[in-house]
Amino acid sequence: MPLKPDFEPVLFKNRRGDRPATFDEYRQGGGYEALLATVGKKSPEEVVRMVTAAGLTGRGGAGFPTGRKWAGVPASAPYPRYVQPNTDEMEPGTFKDRILVNADPHLVIEGIILCAYAVKAQRGIFFIRPSYESDAQLIERELAVARAAGFLGSGILGSDFSFELSVHRSAGRYICGEATAQVNAIQGLRPNPVKAPGAHLTEAGLWGRPTVVNNVETLASVPHILTRGPEWYKSLAATPTGDGTKLYCVSGKVARPGCYELPMGTRLSDIIYEHAGGMLPGGTFKACLPGGASTAFMPETLFDIPMDFPSLKAVGHHLGTASMIVFDKNTCLLAATINIIRFFVRESCGWCTPCREGLPVILDILERIEAGEAGEADVAWLETMTRQLHHAYCAFAPGAAAPIEGLLRHFRDEVMDHLDGRGCPFGAPELADKPGAWHLPKGGRP
Amino acid sequence: MSRKPEEASCRLTIDGREIVVAADTPVIDAAERLGIMIPRFCYHPALGAVGACRMCAVKFLDGPVKGLQMSCMVGARDGMVVSTTNPEAVDFRRQVVEWLMANHPHDCPVCDEGGHCLLQDETISGGHALRRYRGPKRTYRDQDLGPFVAHEMNRCIHCYRCARFYQEVAGGRDYGVLSIARRTYFGRYEGGRLESPFAGNIIDLCPTGTLTDKPSRYRARRWDLERGPSVCLHCSLGCGLTVGARYREVMKLEARLNPEVNGHFICDRGRYGFGYESRPDRPRQPRVDGRETIAGAALAALAEGLKPFEAGKVAMVGGTRSNLETLAALLGLCRDQGWRPPVFFRDARLAGAAESAAAALSGDLVASLADVGRADVILVVCADPLAEAPMLALSLRRAARRGAAVLVLDHRPCDLPCEAERLTFAPQELAGCLSRLAHAALRGRKEAAAYLSSLPLPPDLLPETALALDTWGKRLAEARFPLVVCGTDQAEPTLPALAGGLARLLAGSHDQDRRAGFLPLLPGPNGLAAALAGGGDLEALLADIEDGRATALLVVESDLLSRTPEPERWLAALRKLKLLAVCDHLPSPLLEAAHVVLPSRTVFEAGGHFVNQEGRLQRAMPVFSPGLPMGRTLREGHPPRLFMSCAPGSEPRPAADWLKDLAGLLGAGGRAGDWADLAAAFPGLPGLAAGPAPENGRRCLPETAPGADAPSVAKTGSPDVPPDHLQVLLVERTFGTEELSCRAPLLAASAPEPWVDLAAADAGKAGLAHGAWLLVPLPGGPLRARLRVHQDMAPGLLLLPRDPRLLWQRLAGTGVLVELLRLHAITAEEEPAGEDTTLEAEP
Amino acid sequence: MPDDDLRRTILNMLQGVEHPREKAVDVMYLLQRQYGYLCDEALVVGAELLGMTPLELEELATFYDFIYRRPVGKYVIHVCDGVVCWMHHEDDIFRHLCARLGVRPGETTADGLFTVLPTVCIGDCDKAPAMLVNGRFYGPLTPGRVDEILETLRSGDEERVLCP
Repeated sequence: MPLKPDFEPVLFKNRRGDRPATFDEYRQGGGYEALLATVGKKSPEEVVRMVTAAGLTGRGGAGFPTGRKWAGVPASAPYPRYVQPNTDEMEPGTFKDRILVNADPHLVIEGIILCAYAVKAQRGIFFIRPSYESDAQLIERELAVARAAGFLGSGILGSDFSFELSVHRSAGRYICGEATAQVNAIQGLRPNPVKAPGAHLTEAGLWGRPTVVNNVETLASVPHILTRGPEWYKSLAATPTGDGTKLYCVSGKVARPGCYELPMGTRLSDIIYEHAGGMLPGGTFKACLPGGASTAFMPETLFDIPMDFPSLKAVGHHLGTASMIVFDKNTCLLAATINIIRFFVRESCGWCTPCREGLPVILDILERIEAGEAGEADVAWLETMTRQLHHAYCAFAPGAAAPIEGLLRHFRDEVMDHLDGRGCPFGAPELADKPGAWHLPKGGRP
Repeated sequence: MSRKPEEASCRLTIDGREIVVAADTPVIDAAERLGIMIPRFCYHPALGAVGACRMCAVKFLDGPVKGLQMSCMVGARDGMVVSTTNPEAVDFRRQVVEWLMANHPHDCPVCDEGGHCLLQDETISGGHALRRYRGPKRTYRDQDLGPFVAHEMNRCIHCYRCARFYQEVAGGRDYGVLSIARRTYFGRYEGGRLESPFAGNIIDLCPTGTLTDKPSRYRARRWDLERGPSVCLHCSLGCGLTVGARYREVMKLEARLNPEVNGHFICDRGRYGFGYESRPDRPRQPRVDGRETIAGAALAALAEGLKPFEAGKVAMVGGTRSNLETLAALLGLCRDQGWRPPVFFRDARLAGAAESAAAALSGDLVASLADVGRADVILVVCADPLAEAPMLALSLRRAARRGAAVLVLDHRPCDLPCEAERLTFAPQELAGCLSRLAHAALRGRKEAAAYLSSLPLPPDLLPETALALDTWGKRLAEARFPLVVCGTDQAEPTLPALAGGLARLLAGSHDQDRRAGFLPLLPGPNGLAAALAGGGDLEALLADIEDGRATALLVVESDLLSRTPEPERWLAALRKLKLLAVCDHLPSPLLEAAHVVLPSRTVFEAGGHFVNQEGRLQRAMPVFSPGLPMGRTLREGHPPRLFMSCAPGSEPRPAADWLKDLAGLLGAGGRAGDWADLAAAFPGLPGLAAGPAPENGRRCLPETAPGADAPSVAKTGSPDVPPDHLQVLLVERTFGTEELSCRAPLLAASAPEPWVDLAAADAGKAGLAHGAWLLVPLPGGPLRARLRVHQDMAPGLLLLPRDPRLLWQRLAGTGVLVELLRLHAITAEEEPAGEDTTLEAEP
Repeated sequence: MPDDDLRRTILNMLQGVEHPREKAVDVMYLLQRQYGYLCDEALVVGAELLGMTPLELEELATFYDFIYRRPVGKYVIHVCDGVVCWMHHEDDIFRHLCARLGVRPGETTADGLFTVLPTVCIGDCDKAPAMLVNGRFYGPLTPGRVDEILETLRSGDEERVLCP
């Protein structure tokens, strides 16, 4: 299904490829008009209503309705309130936030300011992972520009709305992407997730005050919603169940890996073949992780599925960060799973037993299967343990369970082929011998 | 977390049985009330639920929550149907244990936790027997955590109880969680003694052998121990203890849950303050004129010796560390024989303060330690909680964490493990400051007029200090549950009465469902009973002995020579006595001077009743029979080749028994010494009539205080301190000063080096720096000690701990002043090398 | 000891901050840059400036992977071992890099120039296999490209995007 002829990028409107759009370029393209039309002109409640009407869902992975999250800050909640734009982006295979911030930093900044206006926040804390240090420096530069223009600071645009935004540099660890862990991290506490029955960050987050944690892609959609209206935004999607446009990351065995802005709900096959240039020469699609490492392998049978939250949920999958990691028929998915579980073992925060102790045991079994040291009983045990990961403290271990579940559900035969002394049918214990990335044909990349 | 005025209850079904509990009670607790012990590691009632171990999974079959959930994380709701035996839950729990055991070293044969290990129990009960994990095990390096806690990280199952207790409950900042993922480590930045005086609780909390009791390491299995419930004697709070003894000596003490007193925890002074019962120099044999004899002969000699004395010339000194039975026998003896009233307190000021505190107490006003955690505004007057009653500091922290405001009015640099406002005044100014605060709190209250007019005038205050006192007064008046804590160790005699009076009037200002509380700290575990019994003080008695008005003296479990600032004067006076009898289990120079020595039993051997500072009658059980510890007899070679019906060293008898038998010999006639007699000895504790104490004790105070409405307050004057002089005050410390625990070998060996305190202003004037070695010229000779300089301490004072390792008895008197400029730091060369600074525990 | 400039920088950073712990990671980065890694001395100084105990700062320092509690080289080479890079023979790149430098993972070259660390997905998946050296991405990598990068780094010409 080709794109509608009138489709034009929204979030990537100012994307240039060689350098970030400047403040002036952003302004020339209508940037900060939403802010000018909102501050002092629309009530915060009106902003929340519009975002709710647009059906904007959280782009960080969970797909929670953004308007509902903002409305979760009680009217009577104490001050100061905080906005926490999440640029931790440590989900393997995911790099859309980096591309977005690098393409159009002021779009993100404007979105954050609008969010702050909507929830009456006084301070924003931009949480950035350490490998994005260059982006942190970029943001800090552009924040100064926005401040000089009067879009940040006290009495923004002559109103009584004051908002300060600063960068918080993280020192790593995947778990810091989890909202409650990130709240701890910013406060200088150990970044363990926190779950208390009935507790919400929008009521008590940073230093016990209301805190709205949103992914930067989500926030970047807000200026457009306010400028062009919720109906327009909704209509951008390719499916009735979707909302707006989505930044899809494609990586793995495709010809043109990259980040593409497409209507929410674009079909997987279209994303891979229309936009990412299809599979690498000589490769055939075998499976993909649709939303980063903490989602399940999707088989060929779902190749035409619309990539939005409800469509994937309906077939037992998750859109996650919409970062498609594509595998070809020459790749051992068990070996790929081992790589992913190693990541989860290493990044577990160590809080609960299934995650801290269970994942290493699971990894051990996976490695034994790969090495041909395991039998059917081990696979049964693996399956049981994987199911039990869902009773962990936070979403981390269930995320780790997803690729194993996908593996056992759709590629069980491939796993069984490893058993009882046979070892990896793909040859080498890690990966089959086949053309590597550095053997790419010329022009294989954008 | 404020409690709703009306707590809704709800009905839920667990394993087919219904139970009604308050809504939001963790399901794991609701089940426990039904006798269903859901497996758990991280959950602990005193720490709350954090859902880390995932061991307490149960299946919710019906109701507002469905599916497999952690029973600690789900609050009870109406209509819940819970199954703890559902196969899915059982399988999951079995898997959790299997995961936890994957890295466990399986070293149970050499593990001290073996036999009372929660991990062993849950492994067995969870049905994990077959090991499927074939990978390598994780190993850690252990740390030296000091003399009390042994560390074996390989056994750790990462339940986080230790770190949560240490940081959240105790406010410790030197032990916590390090690293991440499967390498997560519990320990310190580097090896070294755990700084928190509550550190020992992590031993009790640890569900595995990761943190075990170091002093008792490899000495006994749980099932080898003679165990019994007891009461801590190291301050007046009366925390619950479980004694574990073997081979005629105490191996270890553990915290015993007493919800209204100590909860689940105790301080390290209480935990490691034992060991005096097995000291080699403990008196174990009755003696007459220095010769060992048998019990009957010693008693007969004493009775015979006492007969010639005029009743009015016989004096008795008792101790507040004695059990109630002993105090009753002592009081009975004095009364029946017409002897002088017994003496319990070291000086008139302390006796007065204790008596005024006791008089202010009544059932409707007194606060328990648990109440401290419930209060929302707390005033602490003239008390150093961490030094005088460490567990009070923990309760203050609990209150502060729940949002309570805490104000400490004291002259010392009181260190607290929680946020508190500090206002420092000289001791003699405290009553005046309290007066200012009370005026602000009770302004316009008619019923307070008599009280307010009895208060002393406030001292001259800085405007901001006056404002702070006024603000705190208002805060107390507006509080939902205001609470006043008052110490007696340093207080002017009237101060506890003033504090109690304030609390009483604060209570009166409230609606029916509101209350106020008063919590005095009293000298010693039976200080309240002693204070209610009245009597004289040691200073007066000393003068009487010197003047020949008292010529016979019976000292029962009181350590007077090593507790007095005038030991020389006492020794001289004792030589004048015609008869000196001592009944005690502590070694002391007094024993050498005594004509008759009657060895008594310790609380571990005699048990007995104690009434804590809130009037709670509690019972310690005798845990083992006295006798020379086996370890000692064996160390001397083969056990003694003697055939006897009793163990060597088993002569000590309960002090109460000695006294009752003495009374019999003296012809008191017919006193059976039963409970009714005991109750009759303490009319101030009417609740005693109801009989011996139940498990968690029973309050015995009268419902209202006799003199409650009109505290009789004598105005106190300030002592004459010439300019540039320091008043030397003897103070308590958490470790090293308390009467019993400073004889405990474990604490004596490990207590921090004693130091003296000076206010920053004074130190500046004298040019003295924090940490310097100081030479203090005292009347009895110079004293050398390390100096600590404090911003938050009243000027004009030199604080000297009653630590036997310091030569504090060189003070040679009370009310001693030293000239500020005669204090000087000594140079590095002059710095003493160890024994020079310290005195052996017994002179 | 940290020089007076650094001390001043840190104190300025903490000036007027309501919750100094918020700056704990920033302070650790500053000290790490001065000392080369967060050595014990740096950690103790940092804790003192932050009003924390050494244990409290260590609880954070040992949690994060971009705080180096052991000595590292001038250039820390974070080789991405995420699943995308793995698919593109990251392990071969890694082996090649280690062989070329003569070190094992986690080790530092004798000249103190390079430390090689396997690192979780660095977010450069469209250029897999990739690595991160002192704040700059390199990818897609081939053995030849790795050699070139090492040469450039050795010559000191590479502009560094400094870690904070």
